[in-house]
Amino acid sequence: MRQGTQIAFLALFVYLLFEAYQGRAAHPWTDVFFRFNPLAALTAMLSARSWIPRLGLALVTVALTLVAGRVWCGWVCPLGTLSEWLRFRQTRERAVSPSPRWRTAKYVILVAIVAAALFGNLTLTILDPIAILTRTATTSVLPALNAAITGAERMAYAIRFLRPAVDLIEGTLRGPVLPTTQYYFAANVAVALLFAAIVGLNWVAERFWCRYLCPLGGLLAILSKVAPFRRVVGEQCNRCAQCAGTCPMDTIEPAQGYASDPGECTVCLDCLNACPRNGIAFRWRWEPIWREYDPSRRQVLAALGASAAGVALVNSSARASDPDPYLVRPPGALDVEFNEDGFLSRCIRCGACIKVCPTGGLQPSGVQQLGLKGFWTPHLVPRLGHCDYGCHACGQVCPSGAIRPLTLSDKQTTVIGRAYIDTNRCLPWADNIRCAVCEEMCPVPNKAIILQGGGEGESAFGSGGGIGSAQGAPSAPRPYVLSTRCIGCGLCEKRCPLNGESAIRVYSPNEPPPPNGYA
Amino acid sequence: MSSITRREFLKWTGAAAAGAALAAAGCKPATPAATTTTTTAGPTGPSGDQAYMAIVHGADPAAITEAAVKALGGIERFVQSGANVIIKPNMCVNYSTYEYAATTNPTVVATLVRLCKGAGAKRIRILDTPYTGDPETAYHTSGIYDAVIEAGGEMEVMSNLKYAAYDIPKGRDIASWPIYRDVMEADVLINVPIAKHHGSSRLTLGCKNLMGIIDRANQFHRNLHQRIADLNTVVRPALTVVDAVRILTAHGPGGGNLADVKETHIVIASHDIITADSYAATLFGLTADDIDFVRLGAEMGLGEKDWSKVKVEEVSV
Repeated sequence: MRQGTQIAFLALFVYLLFEAYQGRAAHPWTDVFFRFNPLAALTAMLSARSWIPRLGLALVTVALTLVAGRVWCGWVCPLGTLSEWLRFRQTRERAVSPSPRWRTAKYVILVAIVAAALFGNLTLTILDPIAILTRTATTSVLPALNAAITGAERMAYAIRFLRPAVDLIEGTLRGPVLPTTQYYFAANVAVALLFAAIVGLNWVAERFWCRYLCPLGGLLAILSKVAPFRRVVGEQCNRCAQCAGTCPMDTIEPAQGYASDPGECTVCLDCLNACPRNGIAFRWRWEPIWREYDPSRRQVLAALGASAAGVALVNSSARASDPDPYLVRPPGALDVEFNEDGFLSRCIRCGACIKVCPTGGLQPSGVQQLGLKGFWTPHLVPRLGHCDYGCHACGQVCPSGAIRPLTLSDKQTTVIGRAYIDTNRCLPWADNIRCAVCEEMCPVPNKAIILQGGGEGESAFGSGGGIGSAQGAPSAPRPYVLSTRCIGCGLCEKRCPLNGESAIRVYSPNEPPPPNGYA
Repeated sequence: MSSITRREFLKWTGAAAAGAALAAAGCKPATPAATTTTTTAGPTGPSGDQAYMAIVHGADPAAITEAAVKALGGIERFVQSGANVIIKPNMCVNYSTYEYAATTNPTVVATLVRLCKGAGAKRIRILDTPYTGDPETAYHTSGIYDAVIEAGGEMEVMSNLKYAAYDIPKGRDIASWPIYRDVMEADVLINVPIAKHHGSSRLTLGCKNLMGIIDRANQFHRNLHQRIADLNTVVRPALTVVDAVRILTAHGPGGGNLADVKETHIVIASHDIITADSYAATLFGLTADDIDFVRLGAEMGLGEKDWSKVKVEEVSV
């Protein structure tokens, strides 16, 4: 039954992953795993200094954990499920576990994350398990999977008699399941390696991540310490140690009379089946348990101090004061009363917006945008994908309200940046070659780009390069961006026909956009 | 020396393949080098009392489309029983319904699907590449998806695999270009543009509408008009039906203002794409010579821009 539940939740996770593809209206429950996630809720609310109703559902998980322990870890968490399945045969045969002292690590990580949130920084929330899985799937697995499938199809397509088969796959899967565009993400290999490391650590010990590192697991473990519904060893026990061998969390301790730590137990119930004498039961018992690996006051203070120092360092790095001029946030992230810092104090780096962006333009920030302060927050890279005029999905799926949900028409007037033309490279400006792609693409109804000047019909035709504007009267009309109309969607930058860097680029907005956008 | 087991070999091969796929996600594949020629039946002139071009006015888009095709000699002139047909409307954006005149009228498209079906066409596919937004949303938002499915057609999301480099022997600027293979191999191509204003090319009409079936369309803009004309030397629709039920008079091709939309209630049809485009230009107060791709196309012998020389049937229904 537990496996069934795990499979169901993993399937739900995967389903939502695909449901949130492709610019269809975002599924209202796309971010459901984050909404029930107490770590996301705690850190976002601490950092934002406000109650975030959408994350209120996390209280359900808190309540469940306070009653029955780390059920989330054993029954729900899709990363936990994968970690449990992707294990190595040899690990169990060796029957040697790392020192239980390592369990402290997850508490230290948890304290550091929560303390940083208290100081207004959410960078470390990249360690949230749901965020890790979402990020891995979004930026490395799915794009690579699509590349692999497309590559295989391309090979098969070269062989004529295989074409109908490929057409069938393309006809049925392309669109609903496979994306119509290949997505590209900067740190995809690093993200994949991080996930591989989590799986690889299972070689050292089963569910290594869940036992020793997971900060959400740490948070739930603290709550579980007082959970009354717990594993109890009865009188029938004859110390056969069958249960200890089967426990994936290795928390059944022979030295403690085969009792277990409710903070470590994921209520997987495997030990119930393993016991030949029916000596184990899950029952109500009110008695907090403390172990030597639980964090000491000194360790908590050290984590707190390190966290404070880290936040201070991050806030005083040069990029924090001088952000990348091309840093463009998703629509709904910034406005007059809600500035960059407000956005950063709410963004839990979960990647839900990046996952739904249909153009693949929303990219995770590296350190080059805003330093570590903005690490893994979303920003738009128009050359990879513009902000689609017909889409407002990112705000719909943001669990913490860092990107406010906008109606489509509000989004269409929300200014996220401002396009500027590089007249040294723009075809009409630099080479007197007729080109109006930016004007043509501009989705704003009255056009934020206009063409002016030039003689009709007698343009310098041909792709060989015209007379430079300095050498003669320009005959090609030149594009201009109207600052009162440009919303910074970046479709012009995406489509500029120059190779390499676009001759029109979207910069961060110059001033906070008006509350309801430009007329 | 330890020998490698099959299991190990497969493991490492799998790992290498996964790595290669990850790496491939970071680089775009090259355009296939294959060069092929089209097997699509091009346009053929009228015979007997068939009109060269039909211009039909009327409030009902279905009726005027039907009447236009009928004036040309009926759909059977273009579509044989068992034919594999591709209809190419304009579905260039995903954010406007057809009332904004950025995309082709769904009723006009659906009527053509019905006519082809009636002529016994085996397969009727409708496709386009929107320049913004994903195709599925664009297909739905335009209203064409529902209309086509109801009429018995098939909406195809265009697959990147199906572009192949085609020679353009008569091209003045481009010698070859990646074009959608299924369009080139279909028995019949029916081109259904909407007549509208366009920033780069002044108007978008039949010739320009074919940019939706090529890859790297962006690169066309370096010499837009000549390249459109060049493309039209190899992509030859058997029938062009210009939707001028509503026309977009400014801020094209995307539009977005109903104030820019003019209800003209016209459908223009001809096997000759240049003739159809030339007439459609007059709806905007322009002539064929004002639209460079039409002028160049006529110059290159793609069709007749002077419709006073051909048999035109203009009716109201």
